[in-house]
Amino acid sequence: MEQHNRFWRIALLGLPLGLFGLFVVWPLFSSFYYSFTDWNGFDTNYSFVGFDNFAKIATDRLFLQAAINTTIWMAAAIILPTTLGLMLALLLDSRVAGARVFKSIFYLPICLSAVIVGQIWTWIYQPDWGLLNTIISQITGEKFKYAWLAKPDTALWSVIVAWSWQQTGLAMVIYLAGLTAIPGDLLEVCEIEGASPWQRFRRVVLPLLAPSTVVVVALSVINSLKGFDILYIMTGGGPFNSSDTLAMHMYNESFKKYLMGYGSAISVVLFLIALAIIGLYFRQLRKVDRIYG
Amino acid sequence: MKQISRRGVLLGSLAVPLLSMGRMARAQAGEVTISHYFTGELGLKAFNEQIAKFTEATGIAMKESPVGHEDFKTDILVRAAGNSLPDVFSYWAGARVQFIVDSNSLHPIDEMWGANGLDGIIAKPVADSATLYNGKRYLVPMNYHYAGMFYNVKVLADAGMTAPPASWDDFLALCETLKGKGVAPVALGSKNRWPAQFWFDYLLLRTAGPDYRARLMTGDAKYSDPEVAAALAMWKELFDKGYFVENANADDWTDASDKVARGEAAMTLMGTWITGYWNGNGLVPGQDYDFFEFPKIKDGVPNAAVGPVDGLVIAANAANVEGAEKFLAFMVSDAGVQAAWANAQGALSANVNVDPASYNAVMQKAAARVAAAEAFAFNYDLATPPPVAEVGLSMFTRFIDDPSQAEAILAQVATDAEAAFNE
Repeated sequence: MEQHNRFWRIALLGLPLGLFGLFVVWPLFSSFYYSFTDWNGFDTNYSFVGFDNFAKIATDRLFLQAAINTTIWMAAAIILPTTLGLMLALLLDSRVAGARVFKSIFYLPICLSAVIVGQIWTWIYQPDWGLLNTIISQITGEKFKYAWLAKPDTALWSVIVAWSWQQTGLAMVIYLAGLTAIPGDLLEVCEIEGASPWQRFRRVVLPLLAPSTVVVVALSVINSLKGFDILYIMTGGGPFNSSDTLAMHMYNESFKKYLMGYGSAISVVLFLIALAIIGLYFRQLRKVDRIYG
Repeated sequence: MKQISRRGVLLGSLAVPLLSMGRMARAQAGEVTISHYFTGELGLKAFNEQIAKFTEATGIAMKESPVGHEDFKTDILVRAAGNSLPDVFSYWAGARVQFIVDSNSLHPIDEMWGANGLDGIIAKPVADSATLYNGKRYLVPMNYHYAGMFYNVKVLADAGMTAPPASWDDFLALCETLKGKGVAPVALGSKNRWPAQFWFDYLLLRTAGPDYRARLMTGDAKYSDPEVAAALAMWKELFDKGYFVENANADDWTDASDKVARGEAAMTLMGTWITGYWNGNGLVPGQDYDFFEFPKIKDGVPNAAVGPVDGLVIAANAANVEGAEKFLAFMVSDAGVQAAWANAQGALSANVNVDPASYNAVMQKAAARVAAAEAFAFNYDLATPPPVAEVGLSMFTRFIDDPSQAEAILAQVATDAEAAFNE
């Protein structure tokens, strides 16, 4: 019997582990391997170049630009949807007429694929007839034709706004779930004791929402690291690399310049960054678990 | 325990057919596998029709996997990396084919070329520029395109144009007239970067000549040379005078084409594929739109035509080389296939037996222009190695965003291009 169970345990685990190994672990180690070569993607003959690719990263102007953009992207992707999601959750948790309808509406964008969100916002930002410029033109009374996605100063931020629009709904739903777990009598006691609404929020609600915040922040970080598709659709990293992120830079170097070895080195760096962030996340998670059980 | 390991082995054996499915899919006897980027609605239909003609004539089945134009660039690299290239695939002649030839990933077709007498079938300028790499033949041209100044007939007639501008001054005067009439003289949609390249190509070709340009493309000349600065200065003058539409970097090439079709802009420098796009939108060639060649700028500079050549190549490790060679020979030498294909693509055929009368009026003119040109040059991103092309394409959009930075941009590009040539 014991042997029988053991067989099924191995058999049932074997398939997912096999697939995981084939599609995640093996490519991962392949990337490590290729990052030490000058492979161009086509040629079966390539040489080992030691740490040359990593040394090149240190002097690559576009890598630095992409690293700065990735930092901005991740910081904004954490702060904006989290803050907006919390605000919406607090608004909808109080007795607002039609709260259920609003909840559905705000949650809806998360159901759309990044490609569709990217296309919708590309139209909104269109300089000649886009919604945003049309509204600004109506307000100012003058034809406004700013190309939001084609200007280096605004391209990245324009995509961040579109991204936040989509991600806010997810943060809102998680916070709403967190809010229902806060006992009503606790807040009542605070009110009786004379705590102002701000004090109630700052001293009671926000600390009790910490587990939700950890989940929201973790999801935001993970989603922002994956945030390649919406940028690819809306700007393609342009204009002239001004909205490149590390993922985009890795793609460009590997597939547009055929520098697969160098692209692999960038992916290794990206992997190490992700690993560090996930490590931090787990540490934080354990801390929250200890406090809140 | 024994039992478990036996079952384990059995389970493991299930993985073997899974892994080999890819191989089985391509190992059908006599079949030729092909991947290509002709995926537009009309293009795919027309390509399938030509494939069907080949199968009917030879009895050889084709197993195709079409991939969208932009995705193809990545897809073929992934397949090469996985050592699973199809027998035949479409590719852009020029630096990109040179790159995979240098990577030993293509099968030379000299024997097939000679046996089928392709020297007498393929127009020599195209054959010389597009099929020879390191002294051997590797590609057959399926079709080629020509980049010209496509314009809205009514708008230019209203501006008083009776003949195409014969000189640069004539062109500038035409732009000034159009601007005076409130029409943007030139539409450009450089969001995806490549549409801007034709301006750089022609300005450089018409001022410094095809030989210099070829040296720049191979790294023998430098982006810090006065020839490049002069070409960029002429381009800047057009921006300074307000001859280009606003926000060119926000539009793609179809947006720019639409602006010309609607009469908001007068002309756009684009490849002959624009005729397929416009015809599909109901515009009539010669009546609603036409083109003229990029004006002459400097006396004594050979007249060059710019455009891409779409070719078919055979992978070095193709499973069915014989079938693949038969396919390439048939597709390029059958005049009926070539005529039908060129017309469906809004392209020109390199097969000399294709009757020019089979083209529409505008394409007939394009064929005549290429025939009269003293040189045929690939457009920028097909003429220079991919890492350098990336540097240059970004330069164009950066320049378009702020032409006043031309000098600083060129200085940066000179450094970046030199590094890219050494990749």
